[in-house]
Amino acid sequence: MASGSFRLTRRWAAFALVAPPLLVFLVFFVVPLVSLFWVSFHAPSQSELYGPELTLEHYATILTDPFYHTIILRTLSTGAVILALCLVLGYATAYVLAPLPPRKRLLLLLLLVVPLMVSNVVRAYGWIAILGRQGLVNAVLRDTGLIERPLLLLNSFEAVSFGLMTIMLPYMVISVANALASIDAQYKEAAQSLRADPVRTFIHVTWPLSSPGVASGMLLVFLLTLSAYVTITLLGGPRMKLLVSLVFDSVGSFRWPLAAAISFALLVMALIVSGLIMALLRPQRVQGRG
Amino acid sequence: MSDSGSAALSDVRFERVTKRYGKAVAVKALSLAIPRGSFFSLLGPSGCGKTTTLRLIAGFETPDEGDVFIRDTRVTETAPYRRDFAMVFQNFALFPHLTVADNVAFGLRMSGVAREERAKAVEAALAMVKLTGFAERYPKQLSGGQQQRVAIARAIVMKPAVLLLDEPLGALDKNLRESMQVELRSLQRELGLTTVFVTHDQEEALTMSDSIAVMRDGVIEQLGAPREIYERPATEFVATFLGASNLIDATVVESGNGSSQVEATFGRFTLAGSHPAGERLRLAIRPERVLLKPGRDSGALPAIVRDVVYRGMSAHVFLESGGLPLLAFVQNAASAAIDWSPGQEVGIVLPAESLVRLNGGAQAHG
Amino acid sequence: MHIILLLLAGLTYLLVLGPILIVLVTAFTPTDFFVFPPPGFSLRWFELFFNTESLRGAFTRSIQIAIVSSLVATLLGTMAALFVARRKGWTASLLQTLFLAPLIFPAIVFGLSLLLFFKLIGGMPEFLGLVIAHAILGMPFVIRAVSSSLLAVDPVLEEASQSLKAGPFRTFGLVTFPLIWPGILSGGLFAFILSFGELNTALFLTGPGVTTLPIEIFSYLQFQGGQLVIAAASAVQVGMIAIVVLVMERLVGLGRVVRSK
Repeated sequence: MASGSFRLTRRWAAFALVAPPLLVFLVFFVVPLVSLFWVSFHAPSQSELYGPELTLEHYATILTDPFYHTIILRTLSTGAVILALCLVLGYATAYVLAPLPPRKRLLLLLLLVVPLMVSNVVRAYGWIAILGRQGLVNAVLRDTGLIERPLLLLNSFEAVSFGLMTIMLPYMVISVANALASIDAQYKEAAQSLRADPVRTFIHVTWPLSSPGVASGMLLVFLLTLSAYVTITLLGGPRMKLLVSLVFDSVGSFRWPLAAAISFALLVMALIVSGLIMALLRPQRVQGRG
Repeated sequence: MSDSGSAALSDVRFERVTKRYGKAVAVKALSLAIPRGSFFSLLGPSGCGKTTTLRLIAGFETPDEGDVFIRDTRVTETAPYRRDFAMVFQNFALFPHLTVADNVAFGLRMSGVAREERAKAVEAALAMVKLTGFAERYPKQLSGGQQQRVAIARAIVMKPAVLLLDEPLGALDKNLRESMQVELRSLQRELGLTTVFVTHDQEEALTMSDSIAVMRDGVIEQLGAPREIYERPATEFVATFLGASNLIDATVVESGNGSSQVEATFGRFTLAGSHPAGERLRLAIRPERVLLKPGRDSGALPAIVRDVVYRGMSAHVFLESGGLPLLAFVQNAASAAIDWSPGQEVGIVLPAESLVRLNGGAQAHG
Repeated sequence: MHIILLLLAGLTYLLVLGPILIVLVTAFTPTDFFVFPPPGFSLRWFELFFNTESLRGAFTRSIQIAIVSSLVATLLGTMAALFVARRKGWTASLLQTLFLAPLIFPAIVFGLSLLLFFKLIGGMPEFLGLVIAHAILGMPFVIRAVSSSLLAVDPVLEEASQSLKAGPFRTFGLVTFPLIWPGILSGGLFAFILSFGELNTALFLTGPGVTTLPIEIFSYLQFQGGQLVIAAASAVQVGMIAIVVLVMERLVGLGRVVRSK
């Protein structure tokens, strides 16, 4: 009996520990998302947040309207460019950092972690200060007499892709560098002892063993790219819209159900691309279960 | 090793190889020839240079001076993947993302062996290590012993000029280790593979090797067959690193007829071989060679039992004689044989043929 | 090959650090427009920043929100970590997935859902709404940091404490807490940093007169062009982060700062 009540006390103590954070999460994370989902199936309303009738019209619009197709395609191609550039630059950088002694590696990684902590609006402003009409590049070109009128370097697909890429790049480097640094040096030696030259050692051993880091880096980069409204708006201007911009436009015009539906389209896109990344890189194979 | 003309029959040869890490010298002017088909062990404490020696053969390290040969080809600057060797790593280093079959096939694939041929060779190698039927498993799904076998299969399938083993049994528990020792040894004999084995476990080296090189501070202290190394240690280090030894400092009193009389702190005894009178010698004798006799006996040296540790098969008798601690192992062959007790006065006999003279002479202190 | 890798790595650092360095240099420009190289050094834009009511207000509000939300995140996150970190089984892993979800969940969707939810329940003061949003976004970082600290503590130590007659609370206070506080602290400081720069939920949850510094910078850039006072505001943002990172490095070490992200 005594041990039974002790056990009960412990169970209650554990419950008391997890109940407050769980409650907060349920009320302010799960419930709002569920209600957003619910709202996405409603007709718009002039006076209320949403009308009483249930409808699939918003999803149908997203799936059939060519305007949305353009935006979705543009969002995907921006994501693809960002992922590709992040992969090349991030992997190369991580490959240089990984073999360094731990202290040196940490210091160099810190130089990339701190920018992640700086607000994205500041980092986007940095690119405006460099590429804007009165930015560094134009100032230098004008002062050296190479141009008379400032070049328009912002407000384009390239500016958004490139700027966002530099903002996301540290995630890729950190993720891959950690994966590379945790690969036992014996694997590379084993490959060499089995006649694999450096290139084949990389292709058959290093790359697959680093794939969990590459996958998590890519997932993070893509998911954060989808949300990066501020950077997209500042570097892309009013016409270079991505899917996330449409969420804001709909909220701005008080079309709440449509905004909700676009949000879930965004989530579905996130899931599909995540699944693609996982299927291509197969990071789970490093666990040795097929 | 005695005649340098046998170089043609050696699969691995070092010529005055030196390897430094910064100021520390890992391997010092090492010359070595490993005969074809032999099981050769590099034995020594950590930091003695044995692993560096192995890595110099593999090409994971390049010598600062001297040359390395594999089957009479100079490979001093050759990249590891162009050298004719295979290796079993300390923690096996099986690629976790590849199946057993793909792991074993890896080297063949890199060498451009055709797919069907590869499959056959893999199957044969797996059969050899008794892992038929495990081809599609992943390393994580295997026990330590099975992983070990895969690592061995992955190496022998390459039919290398030399097989390098970097403490491959260290990761296994004791029972498994002992059965793997036997298996590995019989596999090696069967294939006639020249094998270099790195270990710090002296028993393992004695069990498995054709010859053993005992290393310390980057040099080989002694090289020979296991029995020679154990029974005729050349230096104090070898005498104490391989099993226990009693070390005795003595002075030659008289010599003649192929034997010498020597005197230690606890008395006089006979030593095989002639030595000039007055020479100071450092002698070693294995504890199991020290004979104990009850009471004071003529011809035996006086000693007192300080402690007795019962070990089942034998007893360790800790003695003191003339201020010198001595150790004797007594076989538990008859029930009275190990019946010694602390404080007891006994006589000890040091058989002349069991005493080994160590290089370097007696040290100044007792 | 190696040269190419080094060049790419150099390019990475240039692209990541360059924009921030430009902002810092610009902030100290004495001229009305950016001129390169800067003709001198001045604090006039910082003066203007602190004399502009809306910017100064946004700055102090950002700090207040960051402090309150990171405290909430630290408290709740530590509780959650204590429950989740050492438990096995589906309940614990489900909870873990839930608690860590905001790390990768598109924050814009979360922000919208909170805004809508607040409207549905009849409104929520902006300050409180932002604290709730940032606390939930900060919690995963606290949970991660505390969990890794907890997993590094050998449970035998707690058993040893209990064998020495310390009850569960005293064991936590005297053994567990002293061993995991660096994790709690670095998690909490990171939650602060996150809140201080957060944009995606703040875009929805700020209101007229109640904005945060990043949102204020955003609206200046969007509607009033790149005035140099914004460089100063940005430099203040960076400076604040630098201070917190330094504190973090001093208190819990370099490794934790890098791993916090």
